[in-house]
Amino acid sequence: MKLLIVDDSNVIRQRIARLAADARLPNMDIVGQARNGAEALLMFQREKPDVVTMDLTMPELGGVEATEQMVALKNDVVILVVSALSDKPTALRALKKGAQGFLYKPFTDDQLVTALQEVVRP
Amino acid sequence: MSDLKEEEIKVFTDAVAHYFGQLTREPAAVRGAYLEREGEATPVYDFSGRIMVTGQYRGSVTLSAPRAMIRHLLVALHETDQSEDNLRDTVGELANTLAGNARKYFGENMEISVPVTAAGAIPGSDTGRDRPYVIMVNWKTYNASLVVDIERAS
Repeated sequence: MKLLIVDDSNVIRQRIARLAADARLPNMDIVGQARNGAEALLMFQREKPDVVTMDLTMPELGGVEATEQMVALKNDVVILVVSALSDKPTALRALKKGAQGFLYKPFTDDQLVTALQEVVRP
Repeated sequence: MSDLKEEEIKVFTDAVAHYFGQLTREPAAVRGAYLEREGEATPVYDFSGRIMVTGQYRGSVTLSAPRAMIRHLLVALHETDQSEDNLRDTVGELANTLAGNARKYFGENMEISVPVTAAGAIPGSDTGRDRPYVIMVNWKTYNASLVVDIERAS
């Protein structure tokens, strides 16, 4: 399964990359790490990932807009939003645009692995 | 002057305690929260991260923490890259998380920016009000400051 990690924080990207190698997530292959929605869309078109972890508050292009555009390009892409924005309308908006899950920051290692397991479950 | 109520300040003190508790199983403690006194310097440590707030509220949320505290946090996250860039990134992400979590209380109309970070104080730090709220945070043996400088937009 091809995974694209999108977050403007390098530390968060590195952390998600490390956790994606967890034994509970077999066959997860990281195909890219993007710092904003615009960079993510370029990588998305090139790599056609199956799964995306998506931050929301990012420079240039935010995560809700990037989610909408990715779903338009590949409607079976699985998008897990990973964001600190803890109000309900924002989560609902991301889900409405095509995200399959929402994980609030700060997250524990287990929470991220479980959230990824849940969104990729057939 | 910041016109937030005590319960609204508590949103931020709870968020900072939760952040460290969630990531390290050792919540941060709030040593005190006060309205900055006139002419008093805001406590600034090695790295600072600021989120600008717009929409129905305006102002900023700034976290400033010592290098050793951020390094210790990175160790707790199993992060081996402790470069200057990563230390700044971490303090920015921390400020972003605290402001983002506060939207659970303030709602989506409190719009937040991406973080601005700096070694030491953030240049141009005056956001207009005379007396922001200063929340002094303690985690392990380290002290940090969280400055909440927000008011309702008229």
